Amino acid sequence: MAIAGDTITATDALAPLPRERLWYPYLLIAPSMIMLVVVSLVPFLYTIYLSFHAAKFGRVTDFIGFENYAVLLTDPRFWNSIGVAATFVLIAVPVEFMLGLAGALVLNQNVRGRSILVPLLFMPTMMAPIVVGLLWKIMLAGSWGFLSYNVLERFNLLEGTSVFASPEFALYALIFVDIWQWTPFMMLAFFAGLQALPMGPYRAAAVDGANPLQMFFHITLPMMTPLLAVIGLLRFIDAFKVFDTIYILTGGGPGIATETPSILANKMTFEFWNIGEASALAVLVWLAFFAFCNVFYQVAKKRLNAF
Amino acid sequence: MAEAQSRPEGSKALLWTSVTVVYAAIMLFPIFWMASMMVKPNDAMFARPTQFLFMPTLEHFSYVLEHGFHWYLLTSFLLCTVSTALVVIIGTPAAYAFARFEMRAKDDLFLFILASRMAPPVCLVIPFYLIFAKVGLLDTFLGLTLAYMTFNLSFYIWVLRSFCRDLPVELEEAAALEGWSKPQIFRRVVFPLLRNGIVATAVLCFIFAWNEFLFAFMLGGRAVQTLPVSIPKLITSQGVRWGEMAVVGMTALLPVLAVVFVLQRHIVRGLTLGAVKG
Repeated sequence: MAIAGDTITATDALAPLPRERLWYPYLLIAPSMIMLVVVSLVPFLYTIYLSFHAAKFGRVTDFIGFENYAVLLTDPRFWNSIGVAATFVLIAVPVEFMLGLAGALVLNQNVRGRSILVPLLFMPTMMAPIVVGLLWKIMLAGSWGFLSYNVLERFNLLEGTSVFASPEFALYALIFVDIWQWTPFMMLAFFAGLQALPMGPYRAAAVDGANPLQMFFHITLPMMTPLLAVIGLLRFIDAFKVFDTIYILTGGGPGIATETPSILANKMTFEFWNIGEASALAVLVWLAFFAFCNVFYQVAKKRLNAF
Repeated sequence: MAEAQSRPEGSKALLWTSVTVVYAAIMLFPIFWMASMMVKPNDAMFARPTQFLFMPTLEHFSYVLEHGFHWYLLTSFLLCTVSTALVVIIGTPAAYAFARFEMRAKDDLFLFILASRMAPPVCLVIPFYLIFAKVGLLDTFLGLTLAYMTFNLSFYIWVLRSFCRDLPVELEEAAALEGWSKPQIFRRVVFPLLRNGIVATAVLCFIFAWNEFLFAFMLGGRAVQTLPVSIPKLITSQGVRWGEMAVVGMTALLPVLAVVFVLQRHIVRGLTLGAVKG
């Protein structure tokens, strides 16, 4: 029944006619694949095309090779944006990770009313980024914001200006907002992982008289490692492309203090209309994401047996 | 977990439950605060020190309605419904095919789908803007529907595939032995079992579209204006209308509130792209 070169699987029983079997799955995926080629591959290839051309103010003119890339890579503003994004990700993600893990461990104790608490805890993650931005603008708005008046001003941390307009603090304020928004995601993903752990090893350890700390380091942590890695990686990828909240809260400012590559690419396109250079930046960002994406896929597939 | 067995259950449960409740209350306080601003008069809003008690007012609601914000709500709703419906129609067979059949270059196709999902929206908005400007799709319903396919169709296929893989293949095999054709098997066996997964994934797609800002802002904005995009409009030349913003923001939040309660366990699975089964 198997055609040469095909692997024999359980689904072979589903395939009475060899010829039908050949094209049936392709027929099923065709509409989706055509759609994705149009909305994802075509834009990507077009961006590559643009990145090799002189393109300003929406008019695409000469082929100029790698000049856009050369200009971009010697632009201090580009390197600044990389630095901003690196600071953002390298502070926000580890903090979210630790807080999330701690929260998951608490939630995994015999907490009552989880069916109400868990959805509520998920709110920040599921909210529209623009609403997250609005929320924190209100909490930290200059003189009258709840937190800026009652905490920042009272303890003389910052006076006279909004924290989002302060060159030293704006980036940290954005990191704080990101932590508020994404810690619940880490927490509930880790919690789901904890809930799926088998009880057996814990019973055995309890019989051997292990204390909770030993159990955590010798049972929970090793069993959770693949999951922690996959979730951490996913969050890492997502944190790099955060755009909406930064755009709303600071727009990359003051100056270029919070300008990530995403914000920079957007400014290059819609403010300076320097499309060639913006495309070069987009291509670089895109390639970095492909690499991350591939790592995520391999790790999740091999270590977590997901997908 | 096992470690709690020999201790007084009640007091421990009380301790951890109160820790969680206090944590949740602190984390959600900004949302309550914004909700209170919906009915807070302007002079109380800007008062120093912070004013907790005030006479509620409906002025913000009437401003929002007078300025036609309910139309943006309707636009948002229609756009999200149509784009999600399209995703379900073309994505469901694809997810099933990826879960069940052998295909050439399946891994590569699959990685391509993941890459579509992960691509930073800012990188997409540049080519979309230029292409849409050329073919006249800027600021149209169809244009935004297409743009939303990039992240939602790929997301839907990816996550629904993990639901498909949970189905026991034996049922389909039995149906095949009965002589049913493959479309019949899909309609009568797979689809009914998959319904919960389809609904959960589709609802998440709806929420992603509902929350989306960048595409709606750059590729739409005038004729097709969604609720998130309408919020910055409340920064007027006479100052920022915070109360009105709170009204629109809370409106945008309502479906999310409903969804977190209804979907519960499926959210983790969705947000981790199926890597963690909630």
